[in-house]
Amino acid sequence: MLRPFKLHEPTSVDDAVSLLGRFGEEAKVYCGGTELLLAMKEGLLRYNHLVNIKTIPGLDEVGYDQGSGMLSIGATVTHTALEHSPQIQSHFPMIAEAEGNVANVRVRNVGTIGGNLCFSEPHSDPGAFLLLFDTQVEIQGPGGQRTIPLAELTLGPFETCLEDDEVLTRILVPQFPQGMTGAYLKFGYHARPTLGVGVSVRVEPTTSDGEHIERAVVTEVRVAVGSAGPKAVRVAEAEQLLMGKTVAELLPGSNGGESSNMNEASRLAGRAADAMDDIHGSGEYKEHMIGVFLKRAFAKAVNTRQPTVQSPLS
Amino acid sequence: MTTTVGKPVPRIDALDKVTGRAAYVGDLEIPGMVHGLILRSPWPHARVLSIDSTEAERLPGVLGVLTRDHLEGIDAYFGSVVRDRPIVAMDKVRYQGEPVAAVAARDLATAQEALELIRVEYEELPLVSEMEEALVPGSPALHETNLCAEQHYDWGDVEEGFAQSDRVFEDTFTFPMVYHYALEPHTSIGHYTNQGITVWSTAQHPFLVRSDLARMFGFSLHQVRIIVPYLGGGFGSKSYTKMEPLAVALSKVAGRPVRLALSVEEAFKTVRRHAARLTVKTGVKLDGTFVARECLIYLDTGAYADNGPLVAGRAGERIAGPYRWPSLKVSSSAVYTNSTPAGSFRSIGAPQAAWASESQVDIIAHDLGIDPLEIRIKNMVSRGEEVRRGQRPLEGDPATGLRLAAEAVGWDDEAAEESGRAVSSALVTGKGLGCNLSGVGSSPTSTALVRMHVDGTLTVLVGTTELGQGSRSAMAQVASEELTVPMDSVDVISSDTSIVPYDRSTGSSRSTTLMGLAVQDGAIEVKDQLLELAALHFESPVEELSIEEGQVLCRGESIGFGELIQEEFGGVAGELMGRGYVTPRSHGGRLAQSPVFWEVGISAAEVELDVETGAIRIPHYVSVADVGKAINPQQCEGQDEGAAMQGLGHTLFEEMLYEDGQLLNPNLIDYKVPTFAELPDKLETILIENGDGPGPFGSKGLGEGGIVAAGPAVANAIFRATGVRIKELPLTPERVWRALRRARGQD
Ligand SMILES: Cc1cc2nc3c(=O)[nH]c(=O)nc-3n(C[C@H](O)[C@H](O)[C@H](O)COP(=O)(O)OP(=O)(O)OC[C@H]3O[C@@H](n4cnc5c(N)ncnc54)[C@H](O)[C@@H]3O)c2cc1C
Repeated sequence: MLRPFKLHEPTSVDDAVSLLGRFGEEAKVYCGGTELLLAMKEGLLRYNHLVNIKTIPGLDEVGYDQGSGMLSIGATVTHTALEHSPQIQSHFPMIAEAEGNVANVRVRNVGTIGGNLCFSEPHSDPGAFLLLFDTQVEIQGPGGQRTIPLAELTLGPFETCLEDDEVLTRILVPQFPQGMTGAYLKFGYHARPTLGVGVSVRVEPTTSDGEHIERAVVTEVRVAVGSAGPKAVRVAEAEQLLMGKTVAELLPGSNGGESSNMNEASRLAGRAADAMDDIHGSGEYKEHMIGVFLKRAFAKAVNTRQPTVQSPLS
Repeated sequence: MTTTVGKPVPRIDALDKVTGRAAYVGDLEIPGMVHGLILRSPWPHARVLSIDSTEAERLPGVLGVLTRDHLEGIDAYFGSVVRDRPIVAMDKVRYQGEPVAAVAARDLATAQEALELIRVEYEELPLVSEMEEALVPGSPALHETNLCAEQHYDWGDVEEGFAQSDRVFEDTFTFPMVYHYALEPHTSIGHYTNQGITVWSTAQHPFLVRSDLARMFGFSLHQVRIIVPYLGGGFGSKSYTKMEPLAVALSKVAGRPVRLALSVEEAFKTVRRHAARLTVKTGVKLDGTFVARECLIYLDTGAYADNGPLVAGRAGERIAGPYRWPSLKVSSSAVYTNSTPAGSFRSIGAPQAAWASESQVDIIAHDLGIDPLEIRIKNMVSRGEEVRRGQRPLEGDPATGLRLAAEAVGWDDEAAEESGRAVSSALVTGKGLGCNLSGVGSSPTSTALVRMHVDGTLTVLVGTTELGQGSRSAMAQVASEELTVPMDSVDVISSDTSIVPYDRSTGSSRSTTLMGLAVQDGAIEVKDQLLELAALHFESPVEELSIEEGQVLCRGESIGFGELIQEEFGGVAGELMGRGYVTPRSHGGRLAQSPVFWEVGISAAEVELDVETGAIRIPHYVSVADVGKAINPQQCEGQDEGAAMQGLGHTLFEEMLYEDGQLLNPNLIDYKVPTFAELPDKLETILIENGDGPGPFGSKGLGEGGIVAAGPAVANAIFRATGVRIKELPLTPERVWRALRRARGQD
């Protein structure tokens, strides 16, 4: 049952920050409320003051700078808005598709990207796929603004580096390097994902339509895994194993073979996920699944012209 | 001439429901009503040393606190079979979430605050979480013994049967604890006064709740009134008495009507389906003839008996399947453990029984090299044959139904290919069958009243609870058909025990069959009265009269029903009443023998399996229901599809998980129920209509059959795709993956 609280509706980030400073531990940022209100109803969290940041103009905007290729997402942008943003659809199609697969339509309509990252619930899609980009986040507090890599925001389950009086304001996502394509695959049958694997890859020579890609060599690759463990991570060891190999060598499946490099990368990715036993399944199973999904995501990434994503259980 | 029966006429509650106008218990505002909340035990098994509620009682806004110390003058125990469940905990608590105290306050926030002021001192007791432990001598006991009930079925000599068998198979299967997840959690508004009790409640069986409350609170039946508005789904979770005694006792201490609306989490801690362990030993001839079967069934009934003893009985009966057994020996027990009490759930005991029985039929078929469809048909009882000793012979024809299901999924094509096919490197497909037979209908105890008003329209009064199954529409169709009036001239009032006549229960697929008959009888009585009046009017013998479209016809002349009533009473006044009685002796005694009828559950599934992940997809699922006559075909299909999906839920992912006696997943984020995303690509229902049911127009009930054989159909398909047999449900991707890995010898 939701206990009474006072709702504050600031119209600037500065006001929000000072309200948070004034009420200290009694106050919390309230955005879509899909996590916060649920936890408060369950009596897991108690706050006497909620600071609604949806009333702050500008935080719900998406901007794309053609020149720098930088995407700027306001913290209060909803999953639905991301899914349908024309700029994201044309320049970051993988993000648009992945956002269309977050949660269910009701949560997407209300839940925000900022809320997702700040709640730091381990079973999160954006937490993983945004690591494929060198994503930065902008944070504002009483002392001003700071910008840090996304990887530094999340410390662990339900834990971020934000101070009580800091607000996440913006997420900055740089475009993939020229020629890189990506795929994000998630798996699970519960409401939240059991695991997610993102791969982005650039191969050379960049093949043209219809031409066989098998002989191409991996010149840049990123691997991110999430949801299975305490937090999403990039897996540099797996990336190194894939670098410099030909696609044929890494994906011999069509010839019935196995790639020792890919298998080893899968194993390392599974390990790096630090998969936990929970209601979604055993850590052992998730570790195995991350390996399976690394192969599938890699195959999907090299085979698409545009970065893309698949839906659960597909 | 048919007006409405057999047609997919729109439900009479459709508009109310899709516009949100339909009122459920939770929508009602009773004058003076206050709000109740329950304090629940954090421990699965503990002695309650002391409860101090003085501070809570003193909190402004609190009208009353209920604990074991406030039950004076109340018989605090209830239970449909064994009266072992107290309104609130007495000497000890037996499961996590058991009600220990309750508060009534002017608003929920105050009630919540008051709950936190109640001090309860517990002394933890050793926990019994598994049935195996529960039955070990000397293990901690929940009640006097942990064996709640034991049922036996015996005929023929199984030992001799096994000796005569060419092959004997023995397998053990387990079935998970699952929750009904009706959309609406249990909600009751209790109003106690010295003159009697009124309760608005989510009750499937309001008349049985009435008798319980009358006994517990010391009233006679006319002083207890149970009102059931629309119900947001039951599936057995709202059968018998659940939260009503607590709501009434709380109202008694508060002196006000008290509303008790459970959360989803609390509903998970009110009732569930029995987990089961079933061992089946079957002796067969090499040609596939079944010779003998012996079964040992254990059902986890949780902390209180609820309907467990009956569920154990039904599981024991239903594990024989739709087959001929020269000898059969079954022992079926309900066992207490420290968990949410288990009770009725859509086709009680049957999904558990069919899971074991039908999985083993495929094991046998494979071993003997016989087609799973053929071995079933070979052993299946046919029309007119005795199904269980001493019970009603079979009125239907399950073999035809099974053949239809098999045909619909293209069984023969697959038989030609022998087994599973690889679709791509990771995907394989296979097809599987499952079927079962359940004696249903409970007892033939239903009454109805059909009132014809002076304008010729009808009000039909029934005690059937409209819980989404469409009973109001089906009853209206029966009355409309019998009296040749249009559907929109019929209203059906259901479930106010002081207004509508008696009905035993809404469950066991019985309402259209038995209440339908009562309504039909009531309508016929009205018709007879109309004909009598018309005979006077036309000065003609009744034999020369007929009715059509709300008129009585006589030699080319006609008169409206309403005009006849007006003629009798004078002026625009009066009404006619028709009664319907369904009893063991009514209808020439043809309903007396048990069961009222046999309900088949027949499923065929085509399954696609990802061998790398263990994930299952269902491209095609077929369910067959034998309905005798579909009063409303669209609603029959809806019932059957719903049952099939609910069956796929416990087949693929549903399971209540306990750790140290604590329920880990009492919410929809962690307890997965099927959603639209899990619908098979093609979900088909085939209705068999042979007019051989005991209900009106040859109908018989449905709604339970579709859930029964989902598990074995899917697991049998997995076996045919991979050669791997899984004997535990649910078939989560991880469980399937592990089974495949074990089969490959990698584990
Ligand atoms: C049923 C369900 C299914 C889900 N499935 C998925 C899924 O498949 N994939 C997935 O990735 N996620 C999933 N989620 C999570 C969902 O994405 C988040 O609930 C949502 O994005 C949170 O946003 P919000 O605005 O509602 O956050 P809120 O509930 O408003 O806030 C969450 C937390 O973050 C803090 N906060 C919010 N914004 C800021 C800010 N700008 N600065 C500082 N602190 C802030 C709040 O104080 C609070 O502690 C699911 C959630 C539910 C309920």
